Amino acid sequence: MPHSPSSGPSGRLLPAGERLNRMADAPSSISSRKGLPAAQAPGNPVRDVGGPIKRLLSSVRDGRGFDIVLVAFPLGFLFLMAGLPLLYNVLMSFQEVDMFSLGTLMRPFVGLKNYRDLFAQPETLPILANTAIFVAGSIAGQFLIGFGLALFFWVNFPGASWLRGLFLVSWVMPGLVVGAIWNWILSGDFGVLNFILREGGVISGNIFWRSDPNYSLYAVILANIWLGTAFNMILLSVGLSGIPADLYEAAELDGANAWQRFWTITLPMMRSTIGAIIALGLIFTLQQFDLFAAITSGGPNNSSNVTQYWAWEQSFRQYAFAKGATISVLMIIFVMIASVVYVRSTRHEVRG
Amino acid sequence: MGIRKYAVIGALALAGVSLFGLSAKAEDVKLTVWSLDRDIQPAPNLVAEFNKLNNGIQIEYRQIQFDDVVSEAMRAYSTGQAPDIIAIDNPEHALFSSRGAFLDLTDMISKSTVIKPENYFPGPLKSVEWDGKYYGVPKATNTIALYYNKDMFKVKGLDPSKPPQTWDELVDAARKLTDPAANVYGLAFSAKANEEGTFQFLPWAQMGGGSYENINAEGAVKALEIWKTIIDEKLASPDTLTRGQWDSTGTFNSGNAAMAISGPWELDRMTQEAKFDWGVTLLPVPKEGAERSSAMGDFNWAIFASSKHPAEAFKALEFFASQDDKMFKNYGQLPARSDISIPETGQPLKDAALKVFLEQLKYAKPRGPHPEWPKISKAIQDAIQAALTGQASPKDALDQAAEKIKAVLG
Repeated sequence: MPHSPSSGPSGRLLPAGERLNRMADAPSSISSRKGLPAAQAPGNPVRDVGGPIKRLLSSVRDGRGFDIVLVAFPLGFLFLMAGLPLLYNVLMSFQEVDMFSLGTLMRPFVGLKNYRDLFAQPETLPILANTAIFVAGSIAGQFLIGFGLALFFWVNFPGASWLRGLFLVSWVMPGLVVGAIWNWILSGDFGVLNFILREGGVISGNIFWRSDPNYSLYAVILANIWLGTAFNMILLSVGLSGIPADLYEAAELDGANAWQRFWTITLPMMRSTIGAIIALGLIFTLQQFDLFAAITSGGPNNSSNVTQYWAWEQSFRQYAFAKGATISVLMIIFVMIASVVYVRSTRHEVRG
Repeated sequence: MGIRKYAVIGALALAGVSLFGLSAKAEDVKLTVWSLDRDIQPAPNLVAEFNKLNNGIQIEYRQIQFDDVVSEAMRAYSTGQAPDIIAIDNPEHALFSSRGAFLDLTDMISKSTVIKPENYFPGPLKSVEWDGKYYGVPKATNTIALYYNKDMFKVKGLDPSKPPQTWDELVDAARKLTDPAANVYGLAFSAKANEEGTFQFLPWAQMGGGSYENINAEGAVKALEIWKTIIDEKLASPDTLTRGQWDSTGTFNSGNAAMAISGPWELDRMTQEAKFDWGVTLLPVPKEGAERSSAMGDFNWAIFASSKHPAEAFKALEFFASQDDKMFKNYGQLPARSDISIPETGQPLKDAALKVFLEQLKYAKPRGPHPEWPKISKAIQDAIQAALTGQASPKDALDQAAEKIKAVLG
């Protein structure tokens, strides 16, 4: 795409109106450079302007302009919908915010006071620890069970794909519904889980999953594992089906047993899938809010409280917006790390 | 140039439209009312009736969800889009009045022939007060009392005409009524870590001589110890810690709890669901002759300070208040008024319960009022939960809460 000197090398970035003005200033130079037929060129500004516009349009249709438009839309969308709120949130964590200054942007700055206050609170460290346990426990459970199921259905017995589809039901259900159902399952006095454990002889007395501080966090983890396993299974199934079968045939000919085949073929071939799933799992578990709201509300005594629920509680139950924002900033840092891992592990998928 | 031209044209167009609108009904003042009431509840019906009066004031109604009332109101006020009138939960009232967001109605009320402070129960009235002035009008009220299953009382050899009157009697009765083999707990209540927990515990603390400013008073510690006894001895389900009042009382209705502490909002469901003879009695007190207290719930009306038509808005509130006498009959809610006698419903259990609740209302105390109520309430909830889960002794837990509350009160 040749540049016209009158609009300069930066012409692409100028507002359209400005560009047109400049073009109108020097109609003949443009037209002659574009090599239009001489008869049309001189003294016919209307047509002259038409040339560059056409050029611009064709660039948008099929050229670098097209690329830029393609990138600009999602970038603009991302900036408006995610970037601005994120920056606003970071800004808020350095300010003193109360409900009546919510509508203003420039509130009194307090530096790192919100962060210092946060870490001075006795519940902060236990809640961070809970978050770590929740994330690690949920991902471990979802991944291991999901991988097990994926391998199981990979055997491809009759009806395997059907059954695999049915497993997705849990993933399709909204978190609040899942939470309400698990609320009943986990209920202390009449819960199904207690009934099964009691009849199975595992426990003698009822466990109050939601109300006993020793169990409450694990109750939510249990529900979250159930919710997320199907998603893990599907992604891992896709990864498994991408492994060429001849690799296994060759290994079998060489006398490798099932365990060796799994360890030396399946796992290495699945590395990027596993990396992506664990990074996605980190993001999904850090987002998990509905289950806490539905099952324990973070209680009793914060024993099942995690940062994502706590941030909401601070902002919208106690109206400590700055503190809620501060907690969110801490979470953003963790999610960013997870995103980097995710992007890195999926990078060569893009190349292929 | 172009932009300015368009702006001028736009402004002219707008002016034309609004002129047209004004000329259509030049005399009507438009008000907006926000409340959480659904179509079978008072606010939208009162608004419709008011609009039918055709007195030159037209009200537009908007329903907001319970959880969004405060945040929505704050957002609207801070961006200058607040409604004229809002219904706000009573513990949140002070938050707005202390910041000058609500209009001081003291003068208008003193001149009013409809809204008279002496006609209201003291608890609800206090919740609209800030700094000795009135910033609202109580919309309705409710409180909590003790429901008990008369049939179970008889089976366990207790006198159904003598329900427990003191804390000790309550624990005794709960011990006798608890029957793990039959899946029956003695008592159902809520110690949930939200406003419901505070709502249920504060009356106990107040009866013990405490208050939110003095939450670690000896009597309040005693109250929490009683709660802990009830939980530790499994006289109430351990799920009391995570269950709200509605779900807790549900176990009473299904016959899995012999007594329940809850409010009049349960009456309709209970008359339908409970397949046994039940009664209601006043909340038990620490010992015979001790001062009574109870929780106070429900919403208040308030006018935003930013309203352009405060006089008209107050007129609307006067109309709402004038309809208070029909509130229980039409909508099943209790007016916050001591001068209105509520007619019988014809259902004996419900009518008997209503009498007890009206008596209990005389002792109802508001939570606060304090602009930082959510933080105070959170400190109390944390103490309840720490004590009941055994992570702190009742005394230590309430001492901690007192310290947190002191920091909030400044």
